[in-house]
Amino acid sequence: MARQARSCDVVLCVALVSVCCPGVRARWLPTDDVKVRLETTELGGPKIVVEYDLKDPNVSPESPAYVFLRYSKDFGKNWQLLSTDALRGNGFDIVAKPGHKEVVWWGTDQTAVADLGQVEIRVRAIAMARVPAGRFVMKSLPGGGRDESKAAPPDVNLPLYYIAKYETTVAMYADYLNEVGGEGAGWNSRMAKADRCGIVQESDHTYHVAPGREDYPVTYVSWYDAMGFLQWCGLSLPTEAQWEKAVRGGLYLDGDQTKKQPNPLPERRHPWGDEAPNAGGVYRCNFDGPDDGFERLAPVGSFRRFAGPYGVCDLAGNVAEWTLNWYTTSYHVGLDGFRMARGGSWMAVPEGCDAVTGATQLPLKESSIMGFRGVRNSAVESK
Amino acid sequence: MDRLNRRAFLRSTLGVGGAAALWPSARALGANDKIIMGVMGLGGRGTYLAQKFAERPEVEIAYLCDPDTRRFARVREAVEEEQDRSPKMVQDFRKILDDQSVDVLINATPDHWHALGTILACQAGKDVYVEKPLAHNIWEGRKMVEAARKYKRVVQTGMQSRSAPYTHKAKEYIRSGKLGSVYLVRVFNMMQHPKQASVPDGPVPAGFDYDLWCGPAPKRPYNPSRAWLNQFDYSCGPIAGDAVHQFDLARFLVDDPPYPSAVAQTSAIRSLVDGRDMPDTQMALFEYDGLTITLDATLWTPYMKKIPAGVRDSDQFPNWPFCSTKVEVLGTEGFMCFGRHGGGWQAYDRDGELVHSEYGRQGDKEHQDNFIQCVRTREKAMSDVQIGHLSVLPFHLANISYRVGNQRLRFDGATESVTNCDEANRYLKRQYRPEWTVPENV
Repeated sequence: MARQARSCDVVLCVALVSVCCPGVRARWLPTDDVKVRLETTELGGPKIVVEYDLKDPNVSPESPAYVFLRYSKDFGKNWQLLSTDALRGNGFDIVAKPGHKEVVWWGTDQTAVADLGQVEIRVRAIAMARVPAGRFVMKSLPGGGRDESKAAPPDVNLPLYYIAKYETTVAMYADYLNEVGGEGAGWNSRMAKADRCGIVQESDHTYHVAPGREDYPVTYVSWYDAMGFLQWCGLSLPTEAQWEKAVRGGLYLDGDQTKKQPNPLPERRHPWGDEAPNAGGVYRCNFDGPDDGFERLAPVGSFRRFAGPYGVCDLAGNVAEWTLNWYTTSYHVGLDGFRMARGGSWMAVPEGCDAVTGATQLPLKESSIMGFRGVRNSAVESK
Repeated sequence: MDRLNRRAFLRSTLGVGGAAALWPSARALGANDKIIMGVMGLGGRGTYLAQKFAERPEVEIAYLCDPDTRRFARVREAVEEEQDRSPKMVQDFRKILDDQSVDVLINATPDHWHALGTILACQAGKDVYVEKPLAHNIWEGRKMVEAARKYKRVVQTGMQSRSAPYTHKAKEYIRSGKLGSVYLVRVFNMMQHPKQASVPDGPVPAGFDYDLWCGPAPKRPYNPSRAWLNQFDYSCGPIAGDAVHQFDLARFLVDDPPYPSAVAQTSAIRSLVDGRDMPDTQMALFEYDGLTITLDATLWTPYMKKIPAGVRDSDQFPNWPFCSTKVEVLGTEGFMCFGRHGGGWQAYDRDGELVHSEYGRQGDKEHQDNFIQCVRTREKAMSDVQIGHLSVLPFHLANISYRVGNQRLRFDGATESVTNCDEANRYLKRQYRPEWTVPENV
């Protein structure tokens, strides 16, 4: 590209930029005024600089954003996740403050970008919760067993991680499908049910969301679908331990390094405490029946008053959530083993919407009571 | 005549009281009538069966039942995906039995509930699909047979491999004489189980009717880590519960010999010393008329594998030496290696040359087809209750032998009792809780 041949030039690029597909913004945190420019440097080779504004005032070290960038160099036909190894700046991965962000993508020559005019970059952000490193009380038994009886429960120590505050929504998933699902991968016809999911496939293999369904948790996703979405983002499914710690909190809510905030209820049954989901006529999550205000699914965050100690919403009820863990018995050896889903659902009895109840499911199961959320495992603190 | 009209017709012609007492819900199903089912036990197998039967347009799942309400959501969702009507969710299976519109009870409970659940269902006029192993003990199995016969009920045991077409081809092959005279069949069930966790007893979780779950078995303090499969109070054991599939196949292949005349075995807990009372190692020899069947069973052999998913239902064979669920049929002229789970079978001649191969497919659908058909025709099912009884009975004897110090036991099929060890006969039947007793006269 002639413009890049000139060393030390700063070239304003005309690349197409988008936050995400039109009409499916819900539950991505807004990233506004995205600008991209190409700079060539004398010694470092070309670099692309992406700027944007993260305006959500709720973004904080405890509730950061996970920002990931994806690019296409062929007019949007194929997309790839930008590896964090190639990025510098304050606006990618875990971002702990709102404001103007800048991301530098080094090594653009290695991506063989022949014409920057063909390049599109998309910036997306997910609301996360920080779960500090430290011990917590894990009460579920491996493989879906339940143990509510331990007088002196063993402490399970987990390193720092970040978990999505909300379950992945219909809008987020439809955005993903529109980017990668051209051949129908990740979608099944039951997702079109407007009362249980609401992602409709068009004849040209694009997808739209049924009106009003944007903020509902995506359902009818298999374990593989969930993994596909999360790998697309650069995230992972939570382990059962990570999921359960998000419900109960650590022994210290600020983590074991500082130990300034003892967890008042380290063995709580539910994200909000030990009260039953319907105790005292107060409905704390979406479980079976309409009394909680929802006959079926509820939009994510509908019960945010009853979030867990780190502000993670909807861990109880609404949709059960796939976890990374396998459930394997002799009976299942040789098969594609069952995975664990946690948290109860809109069909579950109130007692099933707790910190320990799990359900085994074959990984190909697509269900209207199961969804997922992502986790970012991190060895470093947020930016 | 639609279903309700037919019922009203029966009431009007027989008299309400008389009809109900004599035959509570035995209705003549027309070819187009839906078969109404209730499912008792919503673990993995119960969930699977509920979904599979719900997929059938000729079936409606009217009830889903489990003492643990926390299990409701998963299976209810699966059933609602397949049928228009929502099933009723109940903790107590007697609500299913009380509903005269229900034709069938699917009994997918732990072993200790198989007999009483089935017998009460027969008494209530329901046909039954009951999971294997048929009964918790020999006496219960006999009572199940008696109840099915007395109330003229179809009772299918969930030993679906018997319905797989490749199994029938193997039987034809053996019958043709190509293996010569068959004197020995070896049954394998070599698994890899984890140790069960060990935590203190604790409170019963909310939403779980533990008393009902225990039912006829002793109500021991609730312990979340206790695996019912590993305890004699609730189970025939993890070996019997799984190996009964292969043993039933072995019996089927050699024309269902009825009772063993003797059982010799040695069992022990070798590796899984974790508080269980069931053996993790069991080598048994069952003497039938003109035939010996052996059992090699372990729970600590990780290199032995069940037939992989990619081999099941495909044109492939398992790696026979490391196949954990195979049956070997030894004749005077040839040898057959047979795999459960649609693993197929291969036959070898006297020189060890491979002479016949047959790929397999699992028999679940055919087994369910057979049950549906029999509910309509009133014929005996492929794995009729008597077959289920006779296929698990040898395991009960092996377990009894283990409990009396690995003694060799002689068995009289006519009285279904041990003839050389009085102590062994104590284990033919269990002690029941008064409120949940299997009656002597069913």
